[in-house]
Amino acid sequence: MPQLNPGPWFAILVFSWLVFLTIIPTKILSHISPNEPTPVSAEKHKTESWDWPW
Amino acid sequence: MMVSFFDQFASPSYLGIPLIAIAIALPWVLYPTSSSRWINNRLITIQGWFINRFTNQLMLPLNVGGHKWALLLASLMIFLITINMLGLLPYTFTPTTQLSLNMGFAVPLWLATVIIGMRNQPTVALGHLLPEGTPIPLIPVLIIIETISLFIRPLALGVRLTANLTAGHLLIQLIATAVFVLMPMMPTVAILTATVLFLLTLLEVAVAMIQAYVFVLLLSLYLQENV
Repeated sequence: MPQLNPGPWFAILVFSWLVFLTIIPTKILSHISPNEPTPVSAEKHKTESWDWPW
Repeated sequence: MMVSFFDQFASPSYLGIPLIAIAIALPWVLYPTSSSRWINNRLITIQGWFINRFTNQLMLPLNVGGHKWALLLASLMIFLITINMLGLLPYTFTPTTQLSLNMGFAVPLWLATVIIGMRNQPTVALGHLLPEGTPIPLIPVLIIIETISLFIRPLALGVRLTANLTAGHLLIQLIATAVFVLMPMMPTVAILTATVLFLLTLLEVAVAMIQAYVFVLLLSLYLQENV
């Protein structure tokens, strides 16, 4: 049963964790906090210049 | 012709590139990075809704100390559910059927929860080795059993995911082969079998989602014992 073959387990471990830790959390974070959090002490909330996205 | 039904789980390689690498690296284009602008589309909305609701539900029973894991566990859920679901498409390779990949996720994450418990609150963490109200003669035996069950957890976590996905893929392939073989001989039976195949596919879609959830849920339970 080839799926039980430990195979190149170290390569799989390193590569899958690389993808798991670099690509996915950035995407998840952009969903959880779509705007950069500003500290409570900030006097004035900074607003980015806005233009039509197209 | 297939030599064996298990050949579908052999990690294929094309033009010198192992397809497991492609199957792990590429699906994330399905998750567009949402921008800080107030503009959205349906895909981003439903993904954001799912991620936020899921994280909320998962973190509800946890102490505040465990909330640091929210990003990690949400990422793990997205990782597993995406790979499981895409693996159900025909002619795709499912990396989560590989035991080495699942153990590669189960062991480090389980070890992290245990180390956190042992480092921050060793008394409570070790206290989980003996349930309250155990009769005195049973205490030594129970501690041994609980210790074994603690150390078998990562194995069970990895094997559960592997076995469920492997069994699903095997069943689908077996029944699909049966439909093809029966078609010229007994068309009626073949059509009935195809119906079963369709229902089984629906079940496998559910299993792909449930097993990803179970993996993350069990990790959060192990974390709950240790924070």
